[in-house]
Order: sequence, then C-alpha cells, then structure tokens
Amino acid sequence: MDRRPNSQENGRFKRRKTADMETRSDPLLTDMREASPVSSDDDGGVKLEGYYNKPAAPKQEKENADVESKLLQSHDDSGSSSKKRQRKEEEHDSKPNPYLVHQYEKPTKKESDPKSNPYLAHMYEDEEVEDKGYNGYSHGYGKPMNRTNGVSDASTLARFPRHKTTAAMAKKAEDGPYNPFSGKPLSSQYVNILRTRRNLPVHQQRDEFLRMYQKSQFLVFVGETGSGKTTQIPQFILFDDQPHIQRKLVACTQPRRVAAMSVAQRVANEMDVNLGDEVGYSIRFEDVTSQKTILKYMTDGMLLREAMHDNNLQRYSTIILDEAHERTLATDTLMGLLKEIAQRRPDLKVVIMSATLDAQKFQSYFNDAPLLAVPGRTHPVQIFYTPEPERDYVEASLRTVLQIHASEPEGDILLFLTGEEEIEDACRKINLEADELVREADAGPLKVYPLYGTLPPNQQQRIFDPAPPPRRPGGAPGRKCIVSTNIAETSLTIDGIVYVVDPGFSKQKVYNARIRVESLLVSPISKASAQQRAGRAGRTRPGKCFRLYTEAAFKKELNETTYPESLRSNLSSTVLDLKKLGIEDLVHFDLMDPPAPETLMRALEELNYLACLDDEGNLTHLGKLASEFPLDPTLAVMLISSPEFYCSNEILSLTALLSVPQIFVRPTSARKRADDMKALFAHPDGDHLTMLNVYHAFKSPDAQANPKQWCHDHFLSLRALQSADNVRLQLRRIMEREELELVSVPFEDKNYYTNIRRALVAGFFMQVAKKEGNSKTYVTVKDNQNVILHPSTVLQQESEWLVYNEFVLTTKNFIRTVTSVKAEWLLDIAPTYYDITTFGTGEVKNSLQRTIEKVRRKEATKGPGRR
Amino acid sequence: MAKLTTTPPPSAPKPAPDDEEEDDYMSMTIHEPTGPLEKETYTARRIRIQRESEARSRSKSKSELAAAADLARDSALSTALPSTSKGFQMMAKLGFKPGNTLGSSTNTHARTEPLGVVVKEDRGGVGMENEKKRKFREEAAAVEGIEKRQKAEVGDYRERVGREREEKRVEGLAWAAMRVLEGLEAPGEGAEKVPSGKVNVLWRGLVRERKEKERERRARYDLLQSLSKNASYAEEDEQDRQALGREEEDVEEEDEELDAFIALEGKERLRRLVGCLREKHFYCFWCKCKYEDESMDGCPGMEEDDHD
Repeated sequence: MDRRPNSQENGRFKRRKTADMETRSDPLLTDMREASPVSSDDDGGVKLEGYYNKPAAPKQEKENADVESKLLQSHDDSGSSSKKRQRKEEEHDSKPNPYLVHQYEKPTKKESDPKSNPYLAHMYEDEEVEDKGYNGYSHGYGKPMNRTNGVSDASTLARFPRHKTTAAMAKKAEDGPYNPFSGKPLSSQYVNILRTRRNLPVHQQRDEFLRMYQKSQFLVFVGETGSGKTTQIPQFILFDDQPHIQRKLVACTQPRRVAAMSVAQRVANEMDVNLGDEVGYSIRFEDVTSQKTILKYMTDGMLLREAMHDNNLQRYSTIILDEAHERTLATDTLMGLLKEIAQRRPDLKVVIMSATLDAQKFQSYFNDAPLLAVPGRTHPVQIFYTPEPERDYVEASLRTVLQIHASEPEGDILLFLTGEEEIEDACRKINLEADELVREADAGPLKVYPLYGTLPPNQQQRIFDPAPPPRRPGGAPGRKCIVSTNIAETSLTIDGIVYVVDPGFSKQKVYNARIRVESLLVSPISKASAQQRAGRAGRTRPGKCFRLYTEAAFKKELNETTYPESLRSNLSSTVLDLKKLGIEDLVHFDLMDPPAPETLMRALEELNYLACLDDEGNLTHLGKLASEFPLDPTLAVMLISSPEFYCSNEILSLTALLSVPQIFVRPTSARKRADDMKALFAHPDGDHLTMLNVYHAFKSPDAQANPKQWCHDHFLSLRALQSADNVRLQLRRIMEREELELVSVPFEDKNYYTNIRRALVAGFFMQVAKKEGNSKTYVTVKDNQNVILHPSTVLQQESEWLVYNEFVLTTKNFIRTVTSVKAEWLLDIAPTYYDITTFGTGEVKNSLQRTIEKVRRKEATKGPGRR
Repeated sequence: MAKLTTTPPPSAPKPAPDDEEEDDYMSMTIHEPTGPLEKETYTARRIRIQRESEARSRSKSKSELAAAADLARDSALSTALPSTSKGFQMMAKLGFKPGNTLGSSTNTHARTEPLGVVVKEDRGGVGMENEKKRKFREEAAAVEGIEKRQKAEVGDYRERVGREREEKRVEGLAWAAMRVLEGLEAPGEGAEKVPSGKVNVLWRGLVRERKEKERERRARYDLLQSLSKNASYAEEDEQDRQALGREEEDVEEEDEELDAFIALEGKERLRRLVGCLREKHFYCFWCKCKYEDESMDGCPGMEEDDHD
C-alpha cells in the first residue's frame, strides 16, 4: 500500500524535500469529507512539548482562539504599524524594488529604531501573538495516579471483571440508559449511531475479538476498508480493558494527522461524549485530551516522542497500531520498541491493525501472535489486463479513459498517473478529445480534475463536485474523471468511482546511502498497491479496473508489497530517536524489515560528523540537545550553533522555512509572472537568503495588512508561510527552554548575510558541491557526483562552493536550494569533515589545498593571532 | 673467479648468454615503440601541446556531461561503503561484521544491499522493458540461425543465386503454360460458364488469381464509394448479393486439389503442364506449336533441353 515516507507525521520534521511533493501523502487530503482542508493546517509542526519540564499554563482552546483574534486585530489597528508602513512607503519611493534586499547593504538613511526595519522579521513577533495557543499540551499529562474520572462505582461497568467481559455484557452497558463512561443519560443521537454501529462487519465478531484479546499480549487484526475497525475496535477494548480503573489510557495510532483528528471526533460522537473528555486526540500542534481521557487517537510519531520521555509507555494499558500496513518509519520503529517494552511490561496489550494481506508477516514478527480477520464491505471489481505490454503508458491511459467514456455505462473514472506535469498534460489532452467525442459521437459531458499534493486545497476540493448531468434528459451519461497521483490510492476516498485505470506506475522516493541521494523516480507499483487501486472502483457498487499491463507482467514484474519507509529513508533522524529511546544496540534492534547495513553506517557517520554521537556511538551533549528538536539532525545542529554566528533569529526563520512545503507557487499558467515575482526577493548569494527575504517581507506590516492578497500577488503560498510562522514559534519555545540565545546583528551590519551563510555551513557542511572546471556543473564533495543546479535557483553569479539543501535524482542529478559559501569557512567550521588527508586526489582536494595555503600566507602577513 | 661464486649452481637450468641470443632470434617479438623514435621538432611539440590544451579546455557537450554523470552515479551506486568509515567502526563495536545484516538474527527479510536506483527514461508500460529484451533475444537468435545457414552456404553463393534465378524462371514458365492450356481448354465466349471448381486443376490457379484481383479491385471501389456515400445507404446485404448472383464467388475459397497442386515445386508443375499439353492437345510448349497427332512429328522431345 501506500508506503510513502510521511515525513510530517512522524513527529519530527524532515528537511523540506521539495521534490517529494508529488508523492507526499498530504494529510490535508485525508478524509477531506470530515475535515475541511482549509481549516486543518498540516505543514510542519513541532513535537509535543507538554510533558517536558515546563508545561504551559493550561488554557481553554476557545479562549486561545479569542485571544488570538484579538491580538491579530490589535495588531492590525495599531498606530505603530501604520506609522511603520508609512516609513516603509517612503523607502519605496527611493528604491524601485523593495525586496531586493542586497541593495540595502549600504542604506542611504539609517534607521535608529531597529523595530522599524522590515528585514528583521523576528522583531515583529514581540508585539504580535505572544503565546499563540497550542498550550493545551499539558491536558493529557496530569499525573496518571491522581486522575479522576466520571465512572461512579454504581455504573454497570464497574462491576465488569476486567479482561473477562463478553459482547453481551458490553451490549447491555451500551444500551444504557446511562453512559457507561461519563454516567450521563444517553442522547437520542447516540441511540441512532449505535444502531448503525451494530451493523458494521466488525460487530459480528466482537466476542471472538474479545476472547483473543484477553488471551494474548499481541493480536493482529486484519480488516479491510469499511469494516469499521478504526472506530470500533478501540471501543471494544475500552469496555474490556477498563483503563479508567487502572488510571491508564488506551492509545490508537494513525499515520496521518487528519485521520487522528477526524476519527477521534467520530468516536466521541459514537460514545456520546465531548471531544477532549473521554475521547481525545494528540497531534503535533494540538493535544485535545484531559484528565478524563481514556481513549487517545494520536499520530504514530507522537507516541514515539512520548516514548522518549516515558521509555515503558507506562501511561498506557493497551496500544493499538492502526494502518500498520502503511509501514511508516514511525510505526515500524514503534513495533520494534513495543516488542521490547512488552517483555518488560507483561500487563501491556498491543493490537496491530492492518488492511492487507501481509498479515502473516505481522503475525510471525510478533512471535506468532493470534490473527483475526474481518471482511470489509466492498463490491466486486472486475479486472482487465492488456494483451500486450504498452509502448507508452500515458497514451494508453488516455485511450482507455476515452474508451470507457464512450462505451461504458454511468460511473466516474479514476486514472492514476505519476506526477504533476504528467497529470496536467493528461487532463488537457483528455479534455480536448472528450470535446470531440461529445461533438462527433454524441458522448456525454466529461469533467476532468487533476489531483496531486501541491495542488491548492480549493482545487483539490473540486474532485468532490458531482459528475455533470447528461446534456439532455435520457442522453449519454455525464461523468467526471479524476487524474491523480497515488494520493487517491489510500489517503482519500472519492465516492462514485466505478472505473479505475491503472498504468502500474507511481513516483517513489528512495534514499540511497551510498551517494546520499534522494531519488524520486517513476517505478512500477507493487501488487498490493495494484490491488488497492483496483479496490477504489468498488466503493459504491461493482466496478471495473483496467490494468495497462499484461497479467504475466503483473505476476512476474511487480513486487509483492511496496518497500516500507524504513528501507527508503535516511535514518539519521531515526538513529537519534532510538538513542533517545534508550536503545543501545542499534545493530540488533528488531525492525520488521531491517535496512541495508550501509544505511545505518551512513547515518551513524553523519551523526558523528555532526558531533551528535561520539566515536563510541553514545549521545553527546549536542546530540541530546538536537533530539529535543523535532528536526532533521542537520537542521537541529545548524539551529543550535547559530548563536555562535550571531544570527539565531534568522536561522530560526530559515529552519522553519525549510521545514514546510515549498513557499513559492509557480502555476503552469503563469510561470513567467511567478518567476518575475520571485526575482523581487532574489538574493544573489542564493536561495536560502532569498527565502529569508520572502519571510521578512511577509512579516512586514505591509504584507500582514492583507496576507492572503499579498501572497496571491507575489505567487507565494500563504499556507506554507503561515505554517512556517507556526513552526518558528514552536522552535523558538524549545530554544528558550534550552536556553539558546536568540540574537541578530543589525541589518546594516556588513556581515549580516555572511553570518547567515556561515551558520548554514555549520549544519550543512556535508551537503556541499564544488564547481567543476569552467563548466556549469558541480560535483558533490566526497561522493564525487556530478550534479547540476535545479532550474528553480536564483543563484546567478558563478560560485565555486555551494551548500545545498537536497540532492535529488529525478531526470537528472539536481541540487536544490543552494547558497554560495567559501572554502575557508568549510575548513574553519567543519575541520574534521574537511580534513585534507581524507580526500582522494582530485579537483576538490587541490582547491582545498590551495585555500589552506592562502589562509596560511594571510596569517603569516598578518602576524600571529586569529585572522 | 670471483664471478663464479655468484653464478647459481649448475643444477639450476639457467641458459647461457649465447643461448639467450639464439632464443631471441627464434621468438622475436616486436615491441611497440615506447617513445618518439626521433626527436620531436619544435613545431611538432608546439602543435601537440596546443592540441592537448584545447582538448582540456573544451567544455564538454551536454550529452557528454550527462553520460559522465550517469557513469559516475552508477559506479558509485554499485560500490559499497568502505569498512574504514566511522559508521562501520561504530557498528563493529556493537558486534557487526562485514556481510552481516541488521535486526534480529532470525529475520530473513533483512536487506544486505541498499535499494537500487533505476532511472526510467521512456514511457513504456509495465513489462515493456522485458518484452523488448525478449524480442531482442528472439531476433538475435533468429539472426544467428540465418547466419549459421548462410555460413554453410558461403562457398556456393553463385550456385544459390543461380538456383534462385532458375526457380523464378521455371515459375514464370509454369504460368505461361497455364495460360496456353487455358486458351486451349477454356470454353468460348458464348459457352456456358463452368464453375471454377470444375476447371482443370492445372490452370485453375489462373482463374483463382484473376478472381482475387477482381475482388480486390471491387473492394477498393466499394470503399471509395462508401466514403462518399451517405451512411444511411446501407451496403448490399446478404440477400442483395444472392439476388444479384454474386455469391458463387466466395464458394471456391477452399480448394484442396488446387492447394495441393500449387504446393508442388515449380519444376514439377511445369512438367505436368507440359505433359498435359502434349497428351491432350498435342501441343509442345517448347516448340510453341500444335501438332496434328500424338506422334508429334518434328518435336525434338519432352524436355526443354531437347529444344536447343
């Protein structure tokens, strides 16, 4: 199934990988029906901090919202900001381009008040939202032993023998008349929901489930989509496990944030309680739980974070890992961890829930745990193969879609393609051809919608529009055709799909430790994935799936399952996590699919160079500090060392910007204008500084007056910038807690940008490329890979050395988001990595050698002392 | 005598210097000249240096660069990280040895190598790549087969060409003989039409060929007509055709007798045709004339060779 690395969900930010936009499982897309994508902000986030030393004063969520809106208002109305705006407008007059910051390097007039400087964006914060909420963290973290709950001893539940209950007993308790958990009378809505709940497939096997659950510590539960497992099983467990009596909780993990939120809401309704009371959820930005909470939905990353501070997960009596088939890195790590914890805690029960066939693998991994399977509620899907392999899968899919439209009865079409460009192109072509079909063959109208991660939410929402009606009563049926990446494979469900066209490809992200490249390549999907795609046709009624490959190819060429994230990721983050979880022997840590040894080798090496691990493999002070940040180690180290370079405010902003999706918007229809707008912010030294300019401009009163319009005008993503703001706030809290100074030099200082560039090197010294002779290509230091600059770069001048944010292999070897640096800095800031003796002969070594000599000469002329 | 002490004992079979010279003469190898035989002139040197520096300074073309990048990537991707790396040393402290895998020792899923990187450069569907490979293999095998056969015949190329030319000529003669036979046997203009199945098998091929041509012509004509025709004008249906008496044309499709005859070699067919002409019509195909009676006076014989 969908094994896309779900970087947002494992509770720790990844560096932004722009290239993965296509396959990024956008949590926004999950269950769009339940949660409006506009309201749910998925981008970036910070790990849970409530159980750390300083829980913020608990406030009601509502209050927060009010305070927030007030603050925003006051900010908008404040006289000071309008004054500032005025001042800035004056500047505008003298400078034609307000965003070309480098022009300011010698400002004509000095601003005495740094607060009025638009490029010190961090200055604005003080007057803005001081505590922007999200401090509900502490809610669920009261001392468990003191927790009280609403269950009176007289309640039916109280007399239930723990781990000896039956379905009949639970049924009686459910029937009321009082809520077995809160003790309040049950509402009529509850009764209605209860009726539908009892029709769900899982309900038939409640007794069987309970018997197996009671007997064994581990249980593998397989339920197809629509079986009701995510909502019902945790409730079954509540009645039997009775966590409230133990003063413990039941946790149910989800790979996606939005799923955790929406499922929690649903279950709260089913149990007739308020969300946040008995049933709550905990995701990166929000912790909606309280002292009363006995069932907590959470992201898998969140549970992992909790385990770092509570190594035995003592707060929980039962842990349910849902959607385990998605095999995210966090779920896999949790499984390994739970195997160890279970030995130390015989009272802990673990239920693994999966939607697919590889249940046996789970079973054997968990020491032959018992298995219970419940059928789903899906309709049969007829599968068609092509007789011959296709020459051009895109062309073949267009043909198939049109053929379906021309000859099949009513029903919508879902076509899977691999990426944004391919999808947009296909949509255009289908539209053209469909128009012709309408004109010439009297076909019904066909609406075509694209769907991919980077599509703005309002356009994503359009896929739920109903299919167009026939042009005249009784005419050929109208239908819609959705052309999607594999987002539509698992992450969201579109009703009405009857025909699925599956060319058998998706873009897959794979990290290779040997050359440290993240490849994003079109590859054949797995059999499991193909089954999942086909299943999409049978959601509402019997459907058809057209596979654009032969049956022989399906059997022979496709892997059984998609590679789990643990095999496809850079493990340095995970290694840091495991160290913090107290796992000493990383080599023998029992992962379900252990990655190649070289992957671990590389992760350890990188952490060692970053000084997070010592030569013995133990966490250093810096390593401990870095693991407090929900960031990639590289970013964390850069942020931690930024005060030394007098630019921690700026690096904080930059780190936030690198942790959210792409801030620049470049619609196909307006590429030129978007590029022109980007040029306004361009800094000649590179993309990092350009992003910083954008953020500073975004924070200026000018932009904040109407951020939506401003972002629209400047081809920027408001969502991304807002979440960068959020991330920045969260990271700042951690910095303050860890007593890391927040400093800046005045913008007028000639070293303002140099400091930032030097601080970049402190984290990214392993991601450096050197120009190759006089050509336009670069070569990565140490791995010696020929790379070219991604066309999106603003870097114009020739620059010998660059740091890059990512090295991706798509059609070519690209480095993306680059900023020019100097060889002297590399030698000065990362002397261990740039130890000249460790380099093989070549241009890189020669150049470094020359630099060393140059520095030496300089020092000699200057006399003793530091340069 | 001091020299003698350094020489090896006589038991060691070391050839004497004079022997060596003789050996050299027998198995002389010509060495590649290691350097310029004569001294490089000033101009030659200048040109050489210039050429070399040009080659160095020439910026590589895009495709060359791409090829170089791919090569570097692929070779690096297939090279394992060395065991000198710090990461390896840290793992070694935990008991890791080269060739081991990570995770539980009983886990059979553990990977030994990182996932490969395969760059897909075309839009071929799933299975196309292997299909192409299979076809390529088959073609290669077929080509190999032909080559083998050809190799055997390499010596008698002339013979083969001659034989091919002869076969073609005989084929032509057979058709000519068929036409002659038709002229002798076909009913006259006014006579009742004989169904093609009843015609002498020896020249029935001629009839069939003519009909096929006609049908093709008509099909092409129909096609042209239908393109300009309004769609509502249905084409002649089964009944129309029957009514118009055209259906018999399709009858003779399966004619085993004729097929058997055509399957014969050209020479044999010609022999039979010539024989038939002689016996039935006293006509000599080679003399190109009809004789009075079966004695066929004046004709030199059955064979073409007789008529030189």
